[in-house]
Amino acid sequence: MPEISPPNQAPHAARVGVVASGIVSPLGLGLDETLAALREGRDCVSPVTRFPVDHSRCKSAGQVADARLAGAEKLHPRPERLHRVARMMILALGEALAQAPGFHPELTVVGTTSGGMTFGEEYYRRLKGGQASLRQAASLIANYTPQKPVMDAQEAFGVSAPCQVIANACASGTNAIGHAFECIRSGRYQRVLAGGYDALSELVFVGFDSLQASTPERCRPFDRERSGLVLGEGAAILLLENLEAAKGRGAKILAEVIGYGISTDNHHLTQPDPSGSGARQAMEGALQSAGISAGEIDYINAHGTATPFNDAAEGKAIVELFDGVAVSSTKGMMGHSLGAAGAIEGVISLLALENQFLPPNINFRAGDAGLPLNVVANSSRPAHLRTVLSNSFGFGGTNASVILRTVKT
Amino acid sequence: MSLGIAGMGWVTPLGSDITGVWERLLQGNAGTAQSISSPLGPDYPVIPVPAEAIARAPAHPRLRRSSAISRFAVIAGLAALEDAGLKLDAEAAARTALIFAVSNGGVIYTKRFYHDIVASGAQAASPLLFPETVFNAPASHLAAILGITGTSYTLVGDGAVGILALKMAEDLLASETLDRCLVVGAEEADWLLCDAYRKWRLLRSMPPIEPFQDPPRGTILSEGAGALLLKRDGMIRLEKIAAGTNFHRQREAGEAMRKIFEELGDDQVDLVMASANGTFIDAAEHGAISRSCPAAKVYAMKEALGESVGAGSLWQTICGAQCLRTQLVPANAAPGFGPEAQSQPSQRSDQLQRVVVSVCGLNQQVAGLRLTKS
Repeated sequence: MPEISPPNQAPHAARVGVVASGIVSPLGLGLDETLAALREGRDCVSPVTRFPVDHSRCKSAGQVADARLAGAEKLHPRPERLHRVARMMILALGEALAQAPGFHPELTVVGTTSGGMTFGEEYYRRLKGGQASLRQAASLIANYTPQKPVMDAQEAFGVSAPCQVIANACASGTNAIGHAFECIRSGRYQRVLAGGYDALSELVFVGFDSLQASTPERCRPFDRERSGLVLGEGAAILLLENLEAAKGRGAKILAEVIGYGISTDNHHLTQPDPSGSGARQAMEGALQSAGISAGEIDYINAHGTATPFNDAAEGKAIVELFDGVAVSSTKGMMGHSLGAAGAIEGVISLLALENQFLPPNINFRAGDAGLPLNVVANSSRPAHLRTVLSNSFGFGGTNASVILRTVKT
Repeated sequence: MSLGIAGMGWVTPLGSDITGVWERLLQGNAGTAQSISSPLGPDYPVIPVPAEAIARAPAHPRLRRSSAISRFAVIAGLAALEDAGLKLDAEAAARTALIFAVSNGGVIYTKRFYHDIVASGAQAASPLLFPETVFNAPASHLAAILGITGTSYTLVGDGAVGILALKMAEDLLASETLDRCLVVGAEEADWLLCDAYRKWRLLRSMPPIEPFQDPPRGTILSEGAGALLLKRDGMIRLEKIAAGTNFHRQREAGEAMRKIFEELGDDQVDLVMASANGTFIDAAEHGAISRSCPAAKVYAMKEALGESVGAGSLWQTICGAQCLRTQLVPANAAPGFGPEAQSQPSQRSDQLQRVVVSVCGLNQQVAGLRLTKS
């Protein structure tokens, strides 16, 4: 394994704890349902019902049923205007804040790619059909913007922190956790709300289909016969706090964020450098930021979209940098939720640490020849985990990795 | 922490060089509104970037199929580096972060892409267009052209997003791994946006934009980009950045703006670079200025450059820095304010020491910052 440079944090850098989390995804609502689905290795991908897919190659996705989001309505003063992804955010934030009463963030950093895009689609369809009344259109426009779901969620709980909404494509959620971590580690902030959200939309679904990045078959991350991704949706929240301050107020510390790496791969707008250099740079950056060696990582929650290009590049970088570490992509179970993915997988990494198990990489048969990845194939399994790395890579060449570690009490 | 402006660049309806556009603003020039045709509704006025300003875009493979917003961002970003006298070699690029601020993004390609789906079905969707619809496509192109391989963020928001990006830059530069941060905001205009803003009851059917009129008469959309290269030192310092808060109803905007001015400190403000654009935000901003710094001059540059949303607050910041650099304030009627707020054409004021840039976005975000000379 290569040598890792000394940590780049200042000697007086603050430690950063995760004091609460919340999640809504195709795996379920809340941490308990998510944990159960992960343990079972449940396949939560289903036929798309939200819009016609007759002319798309791919016809399935990970979806959250609208009926399950109804609980958000009683939490917001104007529920009739809420986009469904705002409802997901409200439920995820509600779950997190319930674990951390008195958590008042100074800053919110979240990731998304398209926010309430389906309101924009509806507006355009009505406009084209000559049906857009002024009143309907105004509501669709005001609530379609990418930042609106997090602001709706904040309003529901009386949070007024400024919102930095990162749109770094599929890396956004991990970028949000990473930037929030750096904000606290620098000593400039004590408490930052981090997370991500995205909902299925026809435009994005057809976009990935047009690129032939999505698959008409099962989503098989790291399988040698993988043929592409399926999309998903959801929202997840992590409440980050200066560790000493959190301990001082008696907060339960779920885990510590210890490292973050970010890189920009300029190879192509939609494809990673086949050498895996962008992914490797992000992971090396996270290790350096944490001041730990690659050998200390017990599990990698991979980006693992199941596209031929991503998994080859990411797998190559993992094999070069690590020595047999357990790896899984959880996207086979729930699809790729884009801007939410990094936050959702951050929460999954937390669950893995808390419950000492490896989440499974389902639909896996055999890996690429010459790529000896230690894939957690098809079933979850118990493991002694102390340190976990989570990857997210996106269009535009954005790559991000975060490292979480258990906290000894 | 100390944060300074090392270089600036912009692409505006009045051109794309800092000095030239500034001269035109001092002369009282305004961007020329043109009518843009909508196939599904009335024509709309927009204030576009002139073709000659876009011609400055470099011939780079990444820009071959890119939308106007990416070209604007690249031109402004390169201009800011040139203004700072900085050429990014690999070592310098590794210690440079890029933050891109945007509100509506690549709306022209997004509309075309989705139109094809609606009109002809998913099988008609273009794989060439889709990647350019992604919010971070302009940042990706700019990073590739500059050779930035490290930190790059795209932030989305309303008109306040540029200030949020500057705040993020301040946070990033707390790390010793970075020497500088290039913040670029950009937007492109299209009839679809005009239609949306009209139905949102924010658009005016004819120019001009008349800031601070009561009642507000609406805004006119424009386009372009603004770029600031930030370092830990510089002739113009960002003394304080208020990352802002949110308001949930239009009537709450005034209170949100008041908090911004309170956070920025209301003493010894010589000039407010206002975001007023002819909509409901004007009253919110007017109330906060009148209460917090009634003796300050007020300049609302959107009267001349239009409402460019994602680029707007960076244009305001550049104008504020230019006022400090040149000790000149463009003429601007500021109705509803006292005589102190009014400035005469090219009025010279050697007393100009501190400028507040205030931003009230149209979709619930507010922010601001305070500039001063080193």
